Amino acid sequence: MERHQNSVTRTPLNSVVVQRRSKSKSYRLSYRSCLGATSRLCFTPALTARRLNTSRRAPKSHNITEKVNPEKLALLVKTEWQLSYVSPLYQFRHTQLKSYSRQLSAFIAAEKQQGLAVEVEGPQKTFRVSFSLVQGMAESDDDAETVLIQIHSKPLFARQDEPQRPVWSGWLTCINGNPDYLRSLPKDFICLPLFGSSGAEALTTLVKSWFQQFFDCCFGPLEISHTCLQWLMALWTNCHTESSIQHLKMIWTLPVVPPLQVTYTVNSEDAWELWSSVRKEKEKENKAGEMAKDEEENSIDIEEVTGFMQGLKSHFYRHFRLDLSAGSLDQVSTALGSAKYKGRIKISNSRYMITTLTLLTECALLKMPI
Amino acid sequence: MSVLNPFSKLPGLNTANILLVESEEQFQQSLADALVEETAATVNVRLAKSLPLPLENEEDRPRIDLVAFIINLTSELSFQSAEASLKFLDPGYFLGKVCFMVTNARNTAVPTERLDAVRKLAASLHCPLLFAEDQTPDGVTNATERLLSILKVAAGLVPMTTALYLSSLTRCTVPPDIDQPSFD
Repeated sequence: MERHQNSVTRTPLNSVVVQRRSKSKSYRLSYRSCLGATSRLCFTPALTARRLNTSRRAPKSHNITEKVNPEKLALLVKTEWQLSYVSPLYQFRHTQLKSYSRQLSAFIAAEKQQGLAVEVEGPQKTFRVSFSLVQGMAESDDDAETVLIQIHSKPLFARQDEPQRPVWSGWLTCINGNPDYLRSLPKDFICLPLFGSSGAEALTTLVKSWFQQFFDCCFGPLEISHTCLQWLMALWTNCHTESSIQHLKMIWTLPVVPPLQVTYTVNSEDAWELWSSVRKEKEKENKAGEMAKDEEENSIDIEEVTGFMQGLKSHFYRHFRLDLSAGSLDQVSTALGSAKYKGRIKISNSRYMITTLTLLTECALLKMPI
Repeated sequence: MSVLNPFSKLPGLNTANILLVESEEQFQQSLADALVEETAATVNVRLAKSLPLPLENEEDRPRIDLVAFIINLTSELSFQSAEASLKFLDPGYFLGKVCFMVTNARNTAVPTERLDAVRKLAASLHCPLLFAEDQTPDGVTNATERLLSILKVAAGLVPMTTALYLSSLTRCTVPPDIDQPSFD
């Protein structure tokens, strides 16, 4: 656990840097509700915005293996994670991960004794929990380091010397979180808004309740909204030149009786052609403007994303006379990863992990209760 | 292009006519059943999937006092169809005789952009925007009550109030920072 020792200096000093802003600004954290005519008089700009960015930088492939331990990285890719959002954690110290592991295993053992939750698969099933730090994933200075949690246990009919295998893994992360929000949190609060879990549902509930008890936070399901799925589609297609997406597959559900499910697979070359033609239109419009050349190449606007989606939908309509706008998009998958509306994400290629996680962190921050 | 005109016909005595336009044709049925229960005035409810209305009924159709567009936020097609139907309304309708009713606004499947777009549309046309819950009978009753209060004013059944006056009080507003990008 040498890495653990080194992390003492690397722990982000959020708690030191943050200064509580003046009282008049504290309502900035309030959730922005519908503003009627009267509240226009006393307009309070909210810190937590209601929508995702309308334009974002095109993803560059990050050779993340340089910064992050490749073993830890291998644990994160190619698994399907169920996402939730977490409110800021109170007094979570990156230096005390060992004690957290012990406490969590004791908690699970105690819950098992009470007969709750975990499947009774033999009396001697002990769980060993390990918390570890995945260093190198934080992009900006305000981000807290990613924490990886694994629960190991011996399989049912194991011999004495067989090593324990991980039966459950989860992680908490914050990548490129909004710096204003992160800096405005009071002292002692660490914001790791995105939580991913894979494994038995019972263990997930146990881990969540332990976090809720110890760090006074709350968990909630994170759905990947339609706009977010469109962004993922566009960002992944944009990477086609660097690493082929192989196919672009979408699954739509149409609200007819009986419900109709449409799987729409687009050849990667065609998807790339459509995407680049949409971008060229935007470039032509911008030629009149005065944007710097490299900025122009790098930023993708929401109009391009919706234009791309509109192109795909109208192509489908031309062939099948079925307007997909009447339905809802459930799943998007390419060779780089797949995302389901219910909140499941799988990242198959570690090079674009940072971009995907940035988008998901934004989605999670949008759902913060304050 | 047959445009619906608000003042080309004579009004009926103690009558109010409402046109419910909905692309899915579901909520309008339950709303219509509840609307005709009204006893204080005779309420005629006409249902349509979209505008323009068929020319064959032009003669028999009474004067429409209020056009209510019902938009289901979970489907983008609903919004697009309502937007396309707006072209077939005479501008005289936008002086308080049009209102938008939105369902499923709390559904997590709805991207916030769609609600913002509906809001901007309603605000630009100076029309009220009502939120309704269509799955429970209570929700239908509440929606009916709100529609009736606007309908009675639009039909001229409420003394000292006109549709234009009411619309200036109830019209939808958008917060000034509705386009504020979030995290940069």
